[in-house]
Amino acid sequence: MEGAQSANVTIADPERGAMRFGLRAKFIVTVLLILTVTMAANTWYFVHTSTQRQEQQLRERGHALGRLISLISPQAIIAFDYLQLNDYTREVSAQPDVVYGVIVTPKGIPISTYIRGADAATRHQAQAARPDDLVETLRRLGGEADLLSLDFPIVHNDVELGRFLVGLSRGSLHKEIHRQLVTQLLLLAAVVLFLGAAIYTVFRFNVLQPIQKLITASRVVARGEYAVVDVDSTDEFGMLARAFNAMASEVKHKQERLQRQANFDSLTGLPNRMMAFERIGLEVQRAKRQGERFALMFIDLDNFKDVNDSLGHPAGDRLLVDIGARLKDCMRACDTVARLGGDEFLVVVPTFSDEAEIERIAARIAKAVSEPQLLCGRKVVAKCSIGVAIYPDNGESVEALMANADNAMYQAKAVHSGSAMFFTEEMNTRLRERVLLEQGLDAAVEQGQLTLFFQPVHQTRCGRLKGAEVLLRWRHPERGFISPADFVPVAEASGQIVQIGDWVLEQACRCWSAWRSAGIDPGSLAINISSVQFKRNISERLGRLMAAYGIPPHALELELTERVLLEDHKQVAEEFTKLRALGVRLALDDFGTGYSSLSYLKYFRFDLLKIDRSFVAGLPDSLDDASVVKAILAMAAGLDLEVVAEGVETHTQLQFLSAQACDYAQGYLIAKPMDEMSYGKYLQELNAGGAEGAISRLMGGVAARDAISF
Amino acid sequence: MIVGSQGGRFRVVTKYVGLCGLLLATVLKSAAYAADGNLVLGIFPRYNATDTATMYMPLADYLSQRLGNIKVTVATTKDFDTFWKGVEDQKYDVVHFNQYQFIRSAKNYRVIAHSQEFGRNAVAGAIFVRRDSGITDLTQLRGRTVIFGGGRDAMLSYIAPRFLLMRAGLKDEDFKSEFAVNPPNALLALYHRQADAAGGGDILVDLPVVKNAIDAGELKVLAMTDPLLFLPWAVKRTMPAKLRNSIQSILTELGQDPAGKEILKAAKTSGINKAEDKDYAVHRTMVKAVMGPKGMGR
Repeated sequence: MEGAQSANVTIADPERGAMRFGLRAKFIVTVLLILTVTMAANTWYFVHTSTQRQEQQLRERGHALGRLISLISPQAIIAFDYLQLNDYTREVSAQPDVVYGVIVTPKGIPISTYIRGADAATRHQAQAARPDDLVETLRRLGGEADLLSLDFPIVHNDVELGRFLVGLSRGSLHKEIHRQLVTQLLLLAAVVLFLGAAIYTVFRFNVLQPIQKLITASRVVARGEYAVVDVDSTDEFGMLARAFNAMASEVKHKQERLQRQANFDSLTGLPNRMMAFERIGLEVQRAKRQGERFALMFIDLDNFKDVNDSLGHPAGDRLLVDIGARLKDCMRACDTVARLGGDEFLVVVPTFSDEAEIERIAARIAKAVSEPQLLCGRKVVAKCSIGVAIYPDNGESVEALMANADNAMYQAKAVHSGSAMFFTEEMNTRLRERVLLEQGLDAAVEQGQLTLFFQPVHQTRCGRLKGAEVLLRWRHPERGFISPADFVPVAEASGQIVQIGDWVLEQACRCWSAWRSAGIDPGSLAINISSVQFKRNISERLGRLMAAYGIPPHALELELTERVLLEDHKQVAEEFTKLRALGVRLALDDFGTGYSSLSYLKYFRFDLLKIDRSFVAGLPDSLDDASVVKAILAMAAGLDLEVVAEGVETHTQLQFLSAQACDYAQGYLIAKPMDEMSYGKYLQELNAGGAEGAISRLMGGVAARDAISF
Repeated sequence: MIVGSQGGRFRVVTKYVGLCGLLLATVLKSAAYAADGNLVLGIFPRYNATDTATMYMPLADYLSQRLGNIKVTVATTKDFDTFWKGVEDQKYDVVHFNQYQFIRSAKNYRVIAHSQEFGRNAVAGAIFVRRDSGITDLTQLRGRTVIFGGGRDAMLSYIAPRFLLMRAGLKDEDFKSEFAVNPPNALLALYHRQADAAGGGDILVDLPVVKNAIDAGELKVLAMTDPLLFLPWAVKRTMPAKLRNSIQSILTELGQDPAGKEILKAAKTSGINKAEDKDYAVHRTMVKAVMGPKGMGR
């Protein structure tokens, strides 16, 4: 794990304060509750049994006094010795806890009354009480709310002489209970506090601290760092800590793997887009801090898709791996080489002296990329386009630098494949234009700003009209005509080409049908088909249009570039079969400018080839061009393919082509592209013999010179 | 407890010899009281024996001191019957008892003084009833219970009240007689409604022992006799006059000096005054009426 660190956990818990009722508080409350309930129950039991025992003792004491008085009183009662009885009751009442002692007659009349602490008047009050109220009166006069009232008969020779009433106060009993309760509660509090503190101490050292360590370690791990908990016990927490450490280690390894997967390209092992952006961000900060510049080089392999399509994806992957390794090898250790995805690479050059050094680095990169490599038994030479953006000249943010480097690369690729370009503001201007074009194309179809032009194609030997290539023009309301070379790539990139292509097909069909209805033979119309459009089931669309406009199969010719063939061979082959079933003729456009794989010609059945104007332009003086054209014509003859030469602008070119048995010629020499109306007139003139004659003369002239030449 | 001596016998040989012998005998007899050196002071068991000894020991010591070489000792008994036996046997040289006992023993004993209690020389016999009893006349006690303190020989607690009842026409069988262990208890019994009337000295209701035990205000005197002189002090009739007079003087002069006052205080007596036999004539009348001639002791 990059940046990971191992730490023994001693970090204070920053969120501890946020925890309102944690394990510690719960434990303390629970322990205190249990201890308090247990000790309270124990205290209650102790006090309860003590109360019962003391109540029993009080009762026994009362009974002892009562029995004694009952035993000694008969003589005094019989002798009317009330003073003696008074002595008895006084002595009884002087005993601890005794509130009153009263001897009453069998009728309940008190004959000796003594209330502890009461004066004579109070005693007289008691003596004056009615028998029914006597006990209550005594209780009231004694000032005791809680009395144990006992009643003993005084009997002599089985004759009841009276009764002895004695009231014992539970006051001292209550005081004793209260004292015991206070003592017990104090003891309870002390025991609860002591046991609570002891249990908490054990809990803290054996549970809370390990848990706290685990929590802190978990948070460290959650922050993406690596933490290990000290294990110094063999109990469950020790096991938990070991399990945690194992988990943290596993997490660390997985994080490292994820980190690698997230930041490095799995194919090449180079930093991926995410890490590249991060590095660029760091470089921006560093450069800004130090006031330095650094360079961003956006590398895109040219036509890499062709390798994948022709040699398979494993071969393409091998190429990417090798190029990545070569890029890394040719750069300094301080430079960053990253793969952004697909065939895009990025190089960050943190220090450089001047733009010339960057150019040298770009050249070194181009050279490294273009080193031949053997893939699937074939030697492959890759090329790349490089866009360069300089911080801070071309942007001060990662996004701006990336966008500008990409733009520069795009321009380099557009201008010259395999070149490197520094970003300029003009590129941005072009980019803005491109965006404007893209936006304008939407309205172009709807508002009828697109229009078709037709450039005639004639036979080189006799000048007879073969037909015309349908060319698309965009008449912009503000910018005037916009070249297809400008907006078609934009439409292809945005996907708008499908809609535009459909429109072209329908308009072509409509025009042909209109001319035919006008009694004019328009010949065949060659329509350029984009690879994007080709993949959208063009045979079905074309079939509907031909049926709708009554177009015979030979009247339409579809021009495909080699790029179409680079797609999924199976799908292309299926579409080819469907088109052939329609009877539509197929032409391979711009032959010689691409891979020009002869296997395409073998695999896909074309009706004719179109020699790119770049080969025709040098004719007949350029020996190379002449050789290529001758080779193409020879190959086409061998494959029974007709050939159309594009861009014929001079008589010598036409003569050369005619002499080499090129079937058809197309170019300004013969006729410029013309709109529907003009082409209609052109056709009328041809039909009338005017144009036909001129063309024939032109062609005838060629033949005469050919004769001279050859 | 006996303290006593035998008198000598005189043979009259001649008149002169006889006269001389009589004179000599008298002298010798007097000398015999002195030569014996002991006098027995008998105290009736009004209180228990221990208290009685404690109360009168100072008096005995004082008498011993004042009488010179005569040792005076205190004698009492646990009950009245035993005491009365001692009186009849003349075991006591000086005796302090109740009025009825004096009247019965007057043939052997001469009264020389009487006690003064609560500052009073005399006390009347009385019949008490509860104020809420509704009894306003002695005749209403017919068929009721009358309680007396002590026994039937109690002068103030039985004889005097009984005399009042007799005088009201109530015979012994006209009411039920109950006896408390002592006079205060008779009032307490009345107070506690154990009797309808109580007999006793009119002084009873003022005694602290009664006041502390009951609300004496609940009681009232229904009838009362003439004042009766308090408890008598008597000496044997055989006692020489000089000694008798000396003892009388010592007793009646106790209240004149602090030491004597302390002695009186110890004996719970406020004073001792001279008395003679005729002072107890009223008592004799009552005793005779109540107890009959047999009760007079003659």
